Amino acid sequence: MHWLTTILIFLPVAGALVVGALPLPRYWVGSLASLISLVEVGVWITTATKFDFGSASLQFSQRRSWVSDLNISYHVGQYAFSVWLVGVTTVVMAACVIYGWWVGRERARAYFSLMLLLTGAVVGVFTAQDLLLFYAFFEAMLIPLYILIGVWGGAERLRATLTFVIYTVVGSLLMLASIVAYGLQQGTFDLTKIGPSNSTWLFLGFVAAFAIKSPLFPLHGWLPATYRESPPEVSAVLSGIVSKAGLYGLLRIAIPKFPEVVADWRVVLLVLASISLVYGSLLAWRAPDFRGVVMYSSLAQSGLIVLGLLANNDLGLDGAVLQMVNHALMSSALFLLAGMVERRTSTGEFALLGGMARGRPALATVMMTAGIISLAVPLSTSFAGEFLILAGAFQQHWAWAVIGAGAILLAAMYMLRAISAVLHQDVGPAVPDSALDLRGGELAVVVPLVLCLIGLSAYPNLISGHAFGGNRAITQVITPGGGYLTPTIDHAAQRANLTTCTKSGNQGSCQTVLVSAPSGTTTWTRYAP
Amino acid sequence: MSAAAWTCLLLPLASTVLITLGGTRISRRVAGYISTLTTMGAFAAAVYAFVRLLDNSPEHRGAVTTSWTWLSAGQYHFGLTLLTDQLSIVMMLIVAGVGSLIVAYSVGYMDGEDEERRYFAYISLFVFSMLLLVQGGNLLLLLAGWGMVGLSSYLLIGYHQDRPSAIAAAKKAFVMNAFGDATMALALFLLIQHTGKLGYAEVFATSPHGGTVANLIALGLLGGALAKSAQLPLHTWLPDAMEGPTPVSALIHAATMVTAGVYLIVRCHPLFENAYVIQDLAAGLGAATLLMAGLIALVQTDIKRVIAYSTMSQIGYMFVGAGLGAYPNAMFHLMTHAFFKALLFMAAGLAIHAVVGEQDIRKLAGIGKLMPFTKVVFLIGSLALVGILPFAGFFSKDSILASALARGWFGDTLFVVGIIGTFLTGVYAFRLFFIVFTGEPSAFAREHFHSHHGKEGPLSMRWTVGVLAVLSVIGGFLQFAPLWHPLTTWLEPVARPIAEPTNTQEYLASAIAILAGAAGIFVAWTIYAAKRVKAPRAVKLFEQKFYWDELYDVVWYRSADLLTRGLYAFVERPLIAGSISAVTGAVGLGSRELSVAQNGLVRTYALALASGLAVLTVVFLAAR
Repeated sequence: MHWLTTILIFLPVAGALVVGALPLPRYWVGSLASLISLVEVGVWITTATKFDFGSASLQFSQRRSWVSDLNISYHVGQYAFSVWLVGVTTVVMAACVIYGWWVGRERARAYFSLMLLLTGAVVGVFTAQDLLLFYAFFEAMLIPLYILIGVWGGAERLRATLTFVIYTVVGSLLMLASIVAYGLQQGTFDLTKIGPSNSTWLFLGFVAAFAIKSPLFPLHGWLPATYRESPPEVSAVLSGIVSKAGLYGLLRIAIPKFPEVVADWRVVLLVLASISLVYGSLLAWRAPDFRGVVMYSSLAQSGLIVLGLLANNDLGLDGAVLQMVNHALMSSALFLLAGMVERRTSTGEFALLGGMARGRPALATVMMTAGIISLAVPLSTSFAGEFLILAGAFQQHWAWAVIGAGAILLAAMYMLRAISAVLHQDVGPAVPDSALDLRGGELAVVVPLVLCLIGLSAYPNLISGHAFGGNRAITQVITPGGGYLTPTIDHAAQRANLTTCTKSGNQGSCQTVLVSAPSGTTTWTRYAP
Repeated sequence: MSAAAWTCLLLPLASTVLITLGGTRISRRVAGYISTLTTMGAFAAAVYAFVRLLDNSPEHRGAVTTSWTWLSAGQYHFGLTLLTDQLSIVMMLIVAGVGSLIVAYSVGYMDGEDEERRYFAYISLFVFSMLLLVQGGNLLLLLAGWGMVGLSSYLLIGYHQDRPSAIAAAKKAFVMNAFGDATMALALFLLIQHTGKLGYAEVFATSPHGGTVANLIALGLLGGALAKSAQLPLHTWLPDAMEGPTPVSALIHAATMVTAGVYLIVRCHPLFENAYVIQDLAAGLGAATLLMAGLIALVQTDIKRVIAYSTMSQIGYMFVGAGLGAYPNAMFHLMTHAFFKALLFMAAGLAIHAVVGEQDIRKLAGIGKLMPFTKVVFLIGSLALVGILPFAGFFSKDSILASALARGWFGDTLFVVGIIGTFLTGVYAFRLFFIVFTGEPSAFAREHFHSHHGKEGPLSMRWTVGVLAVLSVIGGFLQFAPLWHPLTTWLEPVARPIAEPTNTQEYLASAIAILAGAAGIFVAWTIYAAKRVKAPRAVKLFEQKFYWDELYDVVWYRSADLLTRGLYAFVERPLIAGSISAVTGAVGLGSRELSVAQNGLVRTYALALASGLAVLTVVFLAAR
């Protein structure tokens, strides 16, 4: 049982080694890699069915001491929200690997082995419970991406890769410095034990790295070149999955480990998130090509999710986790569709596209469904996510929700524009009459993603109601009285109970409530509303 | 009971799924039949639920059924809940009943279209969405239905995908309604903050009375209602929505969806009663809309647009009624309006169908001579619209005007506006009737008219129109407030009116309204039938629709466009992209100078890794 997390991480890594080592022909390399990615999905389904969502504790965890002097260990495990993020990773990666197989990428052994390596690394990021292990997976995730973009990308791939490398290396270094300093300061690197810190610089180091990865305005400079020049399935992975690593970092590390600093910086981060949301939506609205729309909408969605993460209440946090999963499915489906359109027309420029719906019902139906769900039409799962996020942000201050609601309006504008420009009106000059409808292989890749979205639309509570387990051991939660709880974890009985009060909004008396926690004792400090 | 409610809701959805998945394996005609039969099945389920409700005592007629928790976060739980009570059953009967007639009509109207299956999949999706809107047991599901009807409306307006004007109209309708969705969502956020719940009963019991919060909640809901019901100032999408096929205009943009705003106010009336100012605002905007739409309708030359403006105007009456607190009267007018406005659109559809899609009334002129049946049913619809005794509109519209008399000076003002509106209705409705259906047929009409095997249209189009004509004649007798009022009694437990006119006021309002309407018809007759007076020149202001489109173009579209261009030119390109290209340029230059042959990428990464290790070491040493 407790091996499941490790299996989830190392099955694709082992698969990558096998695929890379065996001298198989291209077709067989692809099918073997696809099979491995599907087995990975199967392992995740097993995990999810065995997982106890009523419990807030870390499950399927394994721990081996690594460098005992520094308290570094191989410690992996899953919380409820990690389960969902791992799940969506395996599903999207499987779709992208199979798409790569269907398209028939050149240098297949290297390509598929990198894609599988990437899968293992991302799962590792979402499950690592030790800061240095987290960093190792974070880096291991980026290396295959550099090569995938640099070798299989479009005409401008080298410039794109260079931009991407510079941004992510800067982020990684800042994070590494923060991790090392934080770990040494606290005497452990174990995420389940490490205590809260009130160092602004450490916090900013983490936030910078995660904001680059998410991305947040103004650190999104790597976005345009990278998303336009990557192969479509790599863009899908980047915006669907890899960007979630940054958001996950905020959720798992930056927000819960720095409660006081977050309180000080909350408004700044909320402003950046709002700017990302509006700025991304506006630029998506005027983007000249399909990928441009999807990519700037990813920036907007990332801002929205950060709004939820910083809303500091159940509504925002549950909504943020739900929306992370939604966005992973939506943007990967849309990038894959962009790739499918580009294969037929060799361009993504709206000026050259149009009229593709006529005679291509499958393409029209799938693109329409994906597009409409991603503009958050009510009753869709993305509506559910955005509703919770904005309801949560509203309780922080009404202005955030008003900005968010305005951005939803913009989302309708940019997504409908994109749909119409590809599917409707006159047939574009780049659209040959012979351009086929979606083929079986393409449908097999993109339809499961859309079906996941439709299924979640019927029951978004599957994620929003099962994202954090019984109590909120991870981060701050709202209480029935209207105040909120801040956890301060007492680790290893070396220190006295830390019951610090955050500075904002704590008039009235502080009372101390004891709540059962996964490891050690958690002291909860309740602030009067 | 709950089984009936779920059947009613899910049958149309099943039809959408079936037609979409069936694709070309099912014929176009069969797709039409599936859609019609499922809508009729939904109607049967609604009738069954209605009969079951009759068994219960008036206080116990609300049945709630929850399938599962749709969405939750911490202590907040929002279920997939259906509420079947006196109000929702009325709406279910109207939606599924009129809906099945119009879907059956579509089988004939859409015959021979290329993508008929897509049409029927969409229209079933609409029926599902509309039923979700009226059956939803909490405000979140109401909002979900609200958005879904907007979506299906978008899909159906843009049904002719190769027509740029249709696509533009569809997008406009969606975005404007998304604005309404957004303000409604904000109202819901306020409710969550102040009550923690979204179920109707809990919200009504605990939401704040009076004050800014109550006003903002009501205002947010009103924003949604105005957008959906095409009332001032969010009305500009409705005339453009006539780009959709005519049955769509009949079903969505006349009979059901556009009246959802009235349903919202009636359903959430406790929230509006907590905010009198906003309720008065609703009534005032309704009055302004009915006047403005009546004036614009006078000069329109497209048959569907005239009817569209008359829809806006009639919904204005319903807003006046709902805003004044005469909820049963507003609901009554909603019902009769569904009959006679669907009738008008479908009769117009018969004419349009017979001349291969022409909608200009100058070209259609005199077609009544070739289509006597259509002429008669159109006349019935027009008389009902103007409110001439004994047609349906008389009973329902006049009771709204009467309740205006019961509400002081504000009510009196609205009454005067309503009477002017009735006069205008008489003029524009009969201008349309006299031009299109009386006199000698125009050359165009003669040349392009083609009968359907000697009949005016396929059977499916004629019998449905006939049924609606009958309903437009007898539908009004359901209620005549001074003598009998079963609808008011039925709705009493869920929507007790706060404006109840005396019998004198009822009779007075009826008399004045019928005179105003008749005067309007007389004016139209003198100008367009008897031609005793030359038709006055069209007023530019009316022809330009009071310049609302131009206003929104400047305020919203152009300014957003300008802002985006500015952001791109001054932020995205120079700062965001510019800074990184400078860095990459420098790095590229550096690596070229070091070695030309090597791959800059790999070495850059190696360099970065090395510096990372260096930093790590330094930090380690420093910390030790």
